[in-house]
Amino acid sequence: MLLLQYHNLLLQTILTERLAIDASPSSIDQIVSDFDNVAFHISTPERKSSILISLYIKCFNDLQKYGVEELLQRKYGDYLLPTPEYGYNVSLMLDLGDKEAGIPSNIPEEAEARQDLINEIALLKRNVIAAPFEIAFDKFDQLSAEAAEKSLELYVPEDSGAEVMAIHYRDEESIFIKPSHDRVTVIFSTIFKDETDRVFGKVFLQEFVDARRRAIQNAPQVLYSHKEPPLEIRHVPGLKTGDDIGYATFVLFPRHLAPQRRQNCISHIQIFRDYFHYHIKCSKAYMHSRMRYRVSEFLKVLNRAKPENAEKEKKTASGRRFEIGRR
Amino acid sequence: MASFTPAVVMDNGTGYTKLGFAGNDAPSFIFPTAIATRNTSGSGKPSAPSKPSFLTSSGSSGGNLSQKRGTEDLDFFIGDEAITAANGPNYGLNYPVRHGQVENWDHMERFWENSIFKYLRCEPEDHHFLMTEPPLNPPENRENTAEIMFESFNCAGLYIAVQAVLALAASWTSSKAVDKTLTGTVIDSGDGVTHIIPVAEGYVIGSAIKNIPIAGRDITYFIQNILRDRNEPDSSLRTAEMIKEQFCYVSPDIVKEFNRFDREPERFQKYLVDQGFGRRVSVDVGYERFLAPEIFFNPEIASSDFLTPLPEVVDTVVQACPIDVRRGLYKNIVLSGGSTMFRDFGRRLQRDIRTLADARIHRSEVLSGTKSAGVEVQVISHKKQRNAVWFGGSLLSSTPEFKSYCYTKQDYDEMGPGIVRNFSLFNVP
Amino acid sequence: MSQSLRPYLSAVRASLAVALTLEDFASQTVERHNTPEVEVRTSAEALLNSMMISRNEHERVLIEPSINSVRVSISIKQADEIERILVHQFSRFLTGRAEAFYILRRKPIPGYDISFLITNSHTSTMLKHKLVDFIIEFMEEVDKEISEMKLFLNARARFVAEAYLTPFD
Repeated sequence: MLLLQYHNLLLQTILTERLAIDASPSSIDQIVSDFDNVAFHISTPERKSSILISLYIKCFNDLQKYGVEELLQRKYGDYLLPTPEYGYNVSLMLDLGDKEAGIPSNIPEEAEARQDLINEIALLKRNVIAAPFEIAFDKFDQLSAEAAEKSLELYVPEDSGAEVMAIHYRDEESIFIKPSHDRVTVIFSTIFKDETDRVFGKVFLQEFVDARRRAIQNAPQVLYSHKEPPLEIRHVPGLKTGDDIGYATFVLFPRHLAPQRRQNCISHIQIFRDYFHYHIKCSKAYMHSRMRYRVSEFLKVLNRAKPENAEKEKKTASGRRFEIGRR
Repeated sequence: MASFTPAVVMDNGTGYTKLGFAGNDAPSFIFPTAIATRNTSGSGKPSAPSKPSFLTSSGSSGGNLSQKRGTEDLDFFIGDEAITAANGPNYGLNYPVRHGQVENWDHMERFWENSIFKYLRCEPEDHHFLMTEPPLNPPENRENTAEIMFESFNCAGLYIAVQAVLALAASWTSSKAVDKTLTGTVIDSGDGVTHIIPVAEGYVIGSAIKNIPIAGRDITYFIQNILRDRNEPDSSLRTAEMIKEQFCYVSPDIVKEFNRFDREPERFQKYLVDQGFGRRVSVDVGYERFLAPEIFFNPEIASSDFLTPLPEVVDTVVQACPIDVRRGLYKNIVLSGGSTMFRDFGRRLQRDIRTLADARIHRSEVLSGTKSAGVEVQVISHKKQRNAVWFGGSLLSSTPEFKSYCYTKQDYDEMGPGIVRNFSLFNVP
Repeated sequence: MSQSLRPYLSAVRASLAVALTLEDFASQTVERHNTPEVEVRTSAEALLNSMMISRNEHERVLIEPSINSVRVSISIKQADEIERILVHQFSRFLTGRAEAFYILRRKPIPGYDISFLITNSHTSTMLKHKLVDFIIEFMEEVDKEISEMKLFLNARARFVAEAYLTPFD
């Protein structure tokens, strides 16, 4: 597996099972986790046929500032509950309907539409985090239109007035998004708890920075700075400082923000941290397997030093054995 | 906050892996503990992928870089996907766990890697992990597990528990379990082998463990043979398995049961097999309904080399334990694993063991001329039996004090892998 | 590069062969004890002069002979942070499996990355020249392994970065 999936596999599996046309209703109560301390709770609190799916995400307060509610309304309007389950931030209710009690189902009948719905719910975490990105991209549209109007080639983007959106998606790490007229800058602050990870991470990030220069000219520009926050976010209050902190900056250019690419771009960029950490771990796993192989090779060499003292039994030509020391 | 990062419970068995989060009542994923890796250069050596291809070729060629950026170690599948992939070309199937113990650490490490990142989707740095191990697992294996979990995955915390102890914990949900004790005899019957494991206050009595080579697979073969003898239209292993799971039960007495079958013809049933392509055939299900599970109690009907009935083995196991724990072991016999799911399995086992125990007490009463208070034999079956080990793990790791029993990455860095040789046991509430 | 490696290794080989003349020697301070003198360092007359063979400031071997034991410590080349961490990982991995290696010391002596302790019981059960072979081969392979791991890491990082950035386009 090279790339991580955007959707939550478990959520998808459970719902596919439950929303199958011939599925018999049964009760569920499962906690499902996702990257970045996201938790889902999928349960059937009232009846077996009504499925409640709740999401907890740490940075919901940040996301609320950036229009997550409109986005949820747009994507899941019919299923969204006005007040989420206690302890969670978003709740969706799928009702399979109950013929005897005369409760209608609120999910589409056609298999294809159902599958779409399942996929959309499996992407719940992605969609929630997508909100600020969508705002940023819209802002970019607006700014670039303005810039085109003014037709100023040498337009200075620094005081475009667009605020930096900060999403504190993990305890110590954040995403910053800043739109301007010719680009959208996405900055990840990264922190490593482990020395090995830090060194590996540095190697990886360096390659991210170089990749554009070397192979993929059309990729977003990546910058990496250690300790020093990049210019774009230097004024943001509450930035953590420390030796172990680093900033990875992705500069998305208009070609990445083309409408048909936009959604994919959002999905892809927000998985960056997980992807990055996943591969650090994979490399370490691979190192382990190399070292295991090397250890076994060394042992082979060392065991050569042991004399083969399995002495053969000595026999006379007629087949009689020597019996030494026994008489 | 903390409650939102549930601990991860991983139970890697020989056949199946159970994955899930603490607090849930069933594992989120159950799939074969199998990994499909790419065959190197079609040489057909199934063991070759364990060492990366360029390691073998590094001597011969100078090793050009494009070869070295190979990502063979990312090209693999686990679980059901592995089985599918292995049916096609290019992939070879490996089972990293053998007889409950991890044999191939390279494969196991990648198996875990994929379990965590693809299936469970969690960042191991944020989660505590509860892993299981078989009884009599060498401590080196624990250390290897810890090395992988902490060094590769940086997991926040790790607890390694013995499967039998978790199975005991799982039985606390049963109404019959009065006190939550970690003393008891665990009968763990999966697909390949049945283990009988005595546990005293959370510690496995290793010297008394016994294995029986009769388990789920033998029952399936037994049914298959009966189907073949009768010339049923479908006698595939799959059909036999379905019959085993849907129709089989344990009878109190086979002779009486035969008579009842003759008297009540409705006991004979039919099983509809969908053979695909719209073909459906019907298979008769007869005496095998109670005969198949009977091989636990009368092994001679199926096997010729192992002839000791299960109740007798359980009794021997308990007798091999220190005398002061035997009472507790008789009182709390816990079932775990899919092959103990037959209806009335527990009841029959309890009756047979009690008969054996009572006979012995009677004999000693006669010989010594004293009166004994008798011994209480109780077999506990419960609803979570099938995934008892996993469920017990989920139960324990959802307790608030679980995290204090785990070793953290800091502990590991300070003390080294040897730290996992000892885990403090859960306080029995 | 390999020009200085050959004399370096042959110097180590020759010195080791000389140092590995061990005999049984009971402790002079504790009755009925037989301990490696190079470790306990209780009787000065049982110790011999230690030798240091350096190829450069990073790569060096310290051989500490005594009457019944020899301690060989190796410092592995570490050009940068990455190699340092890789060497650290590798030596920890090896010492974790010291049991299987008989002659591996569980803890390297300060200033070195890995130490071996060869006692007279080892030389009497194992072939001396093969033990020397092992140490020489170990030194060769470790350098190779570390640089290969470093190459791998860079290659993998590049691959991963490209794989991530490609879908944007």
